[in-house]
Amino acid sequence: MDNQMNTSENLYGVGALFKDPNKIVKVVEKLVELGYKHWDVHSSYPLHGIPKRMRLKWSPLGYVALILGLTGTLTGLFLTWWTMSVDYPLTIGGKPWFSFPAFVPVLFELTVLLASVGTAIVMLFIIFKFPNNQHPLHDTEYINKVSVDHFGVFIEAKDELFELEKVKSLFNDFGADEIIEIAYDRNEVTFKPKVFDVKFISFLVVIAIITSSVAYLFNNKILYLPPFDFMLKQFRLGPQESSTFFADGFGMRKPPAGTVARNQEFYPFKNKPDEAGMKLVNPLLATQENLELGRNKFNTFCSPCHGWRGEGDSRLNGQFPNPPSLHSEKVRNWTDGRIYHVIMEGQNVMPSYASQLTEKERWAVILYIRSLQRALNAKQEDIQ
Amino acid sequence: MIQENLVINYQRKPLPEKLFKLGLLLLVVGFVGVVLAYITNSARASFNLLVVFTWIASIGVGSMFFIGIEYLTGAVWSVPFRRVAEITASFVLVLPILAIPILSSIHSLYHWSHTEAVQVDQILKNKSAYLNQTFFIVRLFITLLLWFLFYYLFTSISRKQDKSFDQSLTKKNTIVSAVFMPVFAVTLTFFAIDWLMSLEPHWYSTIFGVYYFAGSFLAALGVFTFVSISLNENGFLVDGLGSEHYYSMGALIFAFTNFWAYIAFSQFMLIWYANLPEETFWFINRGVGSWLYFSIGIIFVKFIVPYILLLPQPAKMDPLRLKIAALWVLFAHYYDLFWVVMPTYSKGGVPFGWMELVFPVFTVGLLIVLFYIFAKNVNLVPIGDPKLKRGLEFHL
Amino acid sequence: MSSNIDYSIEPEVVEGQPKLNQINEAIAKPLETRPSWKYLVALGISSTMLLIGAVCLGFSFYYGIGLWGNNQPVGWAIPIVNFVFWVGIGHAGTLISAILFLFRQRWRTGISRFAEAMTIFAVITAGLFPLIHTGRPWLAGYLFPLPNQHRLWVNFTSPLIWDVFAVSTYLTVSFVFWYIGLIPDLAMLRDRTKSKIKKTIYSIFSLGWRHSNRHWHHYEMIYLILAGFATPLVLSVHTIVSFDFAVSILPGWHTTIFPPYFVAGAVFSGFAMVQNVLIVVRKIFNLEHIITLDTLEKMNKVMLATGMMVGYAYGMEFFIAWYSGNPLESFVFLNRAFGNYAWAYWIMVSCNVIFTQLFWFKKIRRNIVAMFIIGVLVNVGMWFERFVIVVTTLSRDFLPSSWDYYKPTLVDIGILLGSFGLFFTLVILFIRSLPVVSISEVKAVVKGSQPVHH
Repeated sequence: MDNQMNTSENLYGVGALFKDPNKIVKVVEKLVELGYKHWDVHSSYPLHGIPKRMRLKWSPLGYVALILGLTGTLTGLFLTWWTMSVDYPLTIGGKPWFSFPAFVPVLFELTVLLASVGTAIVMLFIIFKFPNNQHPLHDTEYINKVSVDHFGVFIEAKDELFELEKVKSLFNDFGADEIIEIAYDRNEVTFKPKVFDVKFISFLVVIAIITSSVAYLFNNKILYLPPFDFMLKQFRLGPQESSTFFADGFGMRKPPAGTVARNQEFYPFKNKPDEAGMKLVNPLLATQENLELGRNKFNTFCSPCHGWRGEGDSRLNGQFPNPPSLHSEKVRNWTDGRIYHVIMEGQNVMPSYASQLTEKERWAVILYIRSLQRALNAKQEDIQ
Repeated sequence: MIQENLVINYQRKPLPEKLFKLGLLLLVVGFVGVVLAYITNSARASFNLLVVFTWIASIGVGSMFFIGIEYLTGAVWSVPFRRVAEITASFVLVLPILAIPILSSIHSLYHWSHTEAVQVDQILKNKSAYLNQTFFIVRLFITLLLWFLFYYLFTSISRKQDKSFDQSLTKKNTIVSAVFMPVFAVTLTFFAIDWLMSLEPHWYSTIFGVYYFAGSFLAALGVFTFVSISLNENGFLVDGLGSEHYYSMGALIFAFTNFWAYIAFSQFMLIWYANLPEETFWFINRGVGSWLYFSIGIIFVKFIVPYILLLPQPAKMDPLRLKIAALWVLFAHYYDLFWVVMPTYSKGGVPFGWMELVFPVFTVGLLIVLFYIFAKNVNLVPIGDPKLKRGLEFHL
Repeated sequence: MSSNIDYSIEPEVVEGQPKLNQINEAIAKPLETRPSWKYLVALGISSTMLLIGAVCLGFSFYYGIGLWGNNQPVGWAIPIVNFVFWVGIGHAGTLISAILFLFRQRWRTGISRFAEAMTIFAVITAGLFPLIHTGRPWLAGYLFPLPNQHRLWVNFTSPLIWDVFAVSTYLTVSFVFWYIGLIPDLAMLRDRTKSKIKKTIYSIFSLGWRHSNRHWHHYEMIYLILAGFATPLVLSVHTIVSFDFAVSILPGWHTTIFPPYFVAGAVFSGFAMVQNVLIVVRKIFNLEHIITLDTLEKMNKVMLATGMMVGYAYGMEFFIAWYSGNPLESFVFLNRAFGNYAWAYWIMVSCNVIFTQLFWFKKIRRNIVAMFIIGVLVNVGMWFERFVIVVTTLSRDFLPSSWDYYKPTLVDIGILLGSFGLFFTLVILFIRSLPVVSISEVKAVVKGSQPVHH
C-alpha cells in the first residue's frame, strides 16, 4: 500500500533505512546532540545500548511490578485471614485458624500472578496504548524492511526542529540506504488511547455477557441434567416416601417392638399434670447463657402462637385460635414442672413440643417465660 | 601456543603489609580469647569453635564450588576474579587444625559419642554403625582429603596456565569440575549431617545437606564479592572491571538468598505441618526462651535484609551497597550456623557473652592472615586464562 | 572436532552466520507451505490418541470412576501420577525461557519459544488430571474461593488448594510470558504476509507492534521482570506439587527433601521431552543451523546434572530412612526396592540414574540417535518415579489388613494415552501456526547483528 502524498499537513515524518547497525549508533548520537525530541529507532530486535544512547528514561515497569506484587501479597493475606479465621473458621489438622506458614504458598502465587499479569497489562494499555493499534508506519515499505533486515531511524514531522530537506540531507550524510517519506490520513489514524472507545467497551461487555450466561446456564441448568445429576438420583428413600419393598407401603419404618433407641427419654408423668407440677424441678439457673438459649428457642417455637412476649398475640392471622396469655394469674402461679408438662404433652389445641426441644431447652424456655412474666408484672422492688 | 592478542596488561602489586598486621592482631587477640574461653568453659568454647569450623568450611568449599560452576557453565564475567575464589578456597587447608580441638572435646558436643548413653537408647543403637567415633573420623579424613585434592587440582592447573597460556588446561579444569560436582554434593552433605545434624542425634531431615549447601554458597559468594570489589577498587586487578561485572555478583547473592529462603522454608513448613514429634522437637528447641526471638531474627537477617538491599536493579551494580550486602550475608551465615549449633549447648536461651565475640574475632583474623599468605606469591588475576579477555569485555 | 575448543572466542549460538532475512525465511517457512503427508500422518496419530483418551474419559464420567484400577488403599493412582508427570514436563520450558535468560545463557534463544509452548501445553494437560481424578470435574468451580450458597470457603491450609493456585498461576504467567515473546514475531509475520485474512489476524494479535526502540526499551524490562517472576514461580509450582505428598505423615511421602527433589526431577524430565521433540522438529523443518547440535549437547549436560540430583535425592531418602531409626520409614523404602513394586522401582532407577550416566561421554552427548533414546528412557523413568512414589506408599499403608496391589485398567491406560495425544496434538498444531523459534531473539544473537559501541 503506497499512500504517500506530498502534502505536508499529512506528512507523518521521514525515515531512513540502514543495513549496518553501527551506522545507527552514529545517527542516534547526532540526533541526541541536535536535540530532536520526536524521533525513534526501529529494529526487528532490541539493539544493545541504543536506548541508553537515545537517553530514554529508566523504564518504570519495575516499580509497577513491585507495587502490584505487594498488592497481590496483601490481597492474599486478607483473603486467607478473613476466610479462614474470621468468616468461617475451621480447625484443620490441629492448626491455629491463622496458620501463616500454610498460607505462604497462596500468598506467593497471588503475588506473582498479580505482578506479572498486571505489569503486562499496564505495559500494553498505558505504554503501548492498546487497543489502539493503528499507526501511520503500518503497511509501509519502511516498516516492512525494518521487519526483515534493515534498521530504521525515523523523525516525526511534529518535531520542532523538523525541516524536510534538512532531515533528508542529514540522513544522506550518514549514508542511509534509503530515505522514505511517510504520510497518513488524519481521519483514519489517531494517536489517542482507545480504551474507552465504544467498540472496545462493547467488546468487553459482550465477553462479560457470554461468560456470565455460560456460567449461569452451567451452574443452574446443565448440572441438573444427566449424567451430572447422579448425586440427585440415588437408590434411597427420602422422608415420607412410599416403598414397594415393605408390605405396608411405608418408606419410614417404626422401631421394632421392644427396642429402645439411644437417648430415648421416658416421661413418667404421662396424663398426670398435677403430679408433674409437684415433682418436677427446674434444674437450670437463670444465668445469662440459659436465658439466651430460652429466648432463642421461645422465639423460634413458641412465639408464632404465643406472641413475642407471650401475650397470646399470635402471628398466624387466625389460622389457629389464639392461645391464652402466659401472663394470666393461673400460669403465673403454675410451678415450672406444670409448664414443663404442657410443653411435653400439649394442651387443648397445642400439640406436644417434646420432639422440637431437648430437655435442657425446655427448661431454658421456662426460665425465659418466667422472666417475661416478671418483666410484664414487675413489682416495686424490681424497679429499684 | 601463546596467542598475542590474549595477553593483557597486568602488573602484580603486593597486598599492603597493613592488612597482614591487622589480621595478625585480630588473630592474636582472638587466639588469646579462645584459649581463655577454653580454660573457663571448654564445652561452650567447643560449640563456638564448631560454628567457626563449619563457617570456614562453608567459605572454602563454597569457593571451590564457585570455581567449578564457572568452568562448567563457561561463564566469562567471573574469570578476572577467579583467583580470589582460588585463594579463599585455600581456607579448607586450615580445617584439620581446627578439627583437632573439636574432636578432642567430642564428648561435650556429640551425645552419640557416649557409648554408655547409646547402649540405653534404642534409636542411637540402630545408628551406631554410622554414628561412632572411628567412622566419624574416617569420614572427616576422606572428606578433607578429597577437598584438598580438588583444591590442589583447581589451583595448580590454573596457576600453570599463568605461565603456559595453554588452552587445554582450561579443558582439564572443566573435566576436574565435572568430577568435583558429585563429589562436592556427597561430601558436603555428609559433612553437614556429621557435624551439624548429629548434634541432635535423634533428629533427621533429608534436606539438611541442601540447606547447608545453600548457606555455604551464599557465604562463599559474600567473601568473593567483598574481596573482589575491594581488590578492584584499590587497583590490584586489571582495568576494565566495573558495574557490569558487579551486577552478576549482586544477582547471584540475590538469587541464592532466595534459594536459601526457599530451602529453609520448605524444611520448616513440612516439619511444622506434619507435626511429628520426632522431627518437631528440633524447631521447638529453637522456640524456647530467647531462642524464639533469635529464630524469628533469622528470617530478617538471612532473608529480608539482603533481599531488600539487593532488590533494585541499580543496587546490584553499586559497589558500596554490594560490599555491605556481601559482609551482611557472611554475618548471616554465621548467625545461621550459630542458630543450628548453639541450642544443643544451651536449651533455654541464647548464650551470649564475651566468648561468643572472641571466636569471630579469631576467625576473621585467621582468614585475613590466610588470605594474605596465599595471595602473596600468585597473580591476583588468572592472566593465562583464554577467557580472560572476554571476561574483561563482558557486557550485560 | 571439539577436543580443541578455542575458549577465547565466544561460541556462536547460530551456525553458519545466516543473514537476517534468511532467519525470517527459515522460521516462517513452515507457516507458509502446505503440510507434507508426514505432518498429516503425525497429526492423525496424535489426534487418534487424543480421541481414545476422550472416549475413555467419557466412559469414566458416564459410568463413574469404578472403571479405573483405583482401590482401597490406593486411592491416588494414575491420574495423580499423570498430573505430576505433566506438570514436570512443563518445567523445562520455564527453566529455559526464564532461568537461563537470567543467567544470560545465549544458547537458549533457539529453543526458548518451543520450550515455552511446551510448558503451556504440558500444564494444560496436567491441569486436566486433578479434575479427572475427582471423578466429577463439573464441580471444579468449588475449588476457587468464590462466594457460594454454602457460605463455605476453600481450605487454604490444604495443599490441594495451593495446587489450584499454583497451577493456574503458572499457566497464566507462562502464557503471558510466551505471548509477550510472540508479539514482535507476529508483527514480522504481519509485515511479511500477502494474504488479507492472515494479515488481519496477525495485525490483531501483534497489537500494533512496530519495532520501535522506545518500545523495545520497555519490552526488555518486562521480559526481565517476567523472567524474574517466572523463576521463583517455576520452583514454587513443583514444590507445591511435592507438598501434596510431603505435608502428609505417610512414610515415603513425608520427607523434607521433596521440594528441591521434585523440582530437579521436573526439569530433568522436561528437558528430555523438549530434547526429543526438538530433534524431530529441527530435522523436518531444516532448522539444524538454529537449533544446533551444541544446544542439544548442552541440554544433555543439564539432563546429566539434574539426573544426578535426582539420584542424590534417592540416595538421601534411603540413607535417612535408615538413619532415622524409624521402622516405618525403613520398611517403606525396602519395600520400594524389593517389594511387590520392585519392578517399577528398578525401571525408575535405571532410566533416571544409570542410563543418563552415558552422557558423561561426549560421543553420546552429540549422537542424535543415542540422545533421543536416552531422552525417551528418562521420560519413562520419570513417569515411573511418580508411580513409585504414589502407588508403593499407598499400597502398603499403616494397616496391613488393607494392603492391596494396584493394577491400572485399560481405561486408565487409555486416559494416559489420551494425555500424550492432547499434548502432541497441541504441539503439532503449534509448529505450523506460530514461529517455533523466536525470530527476534535469534536475530539478536547472530554474529554482526549488534552495533559495536566505543
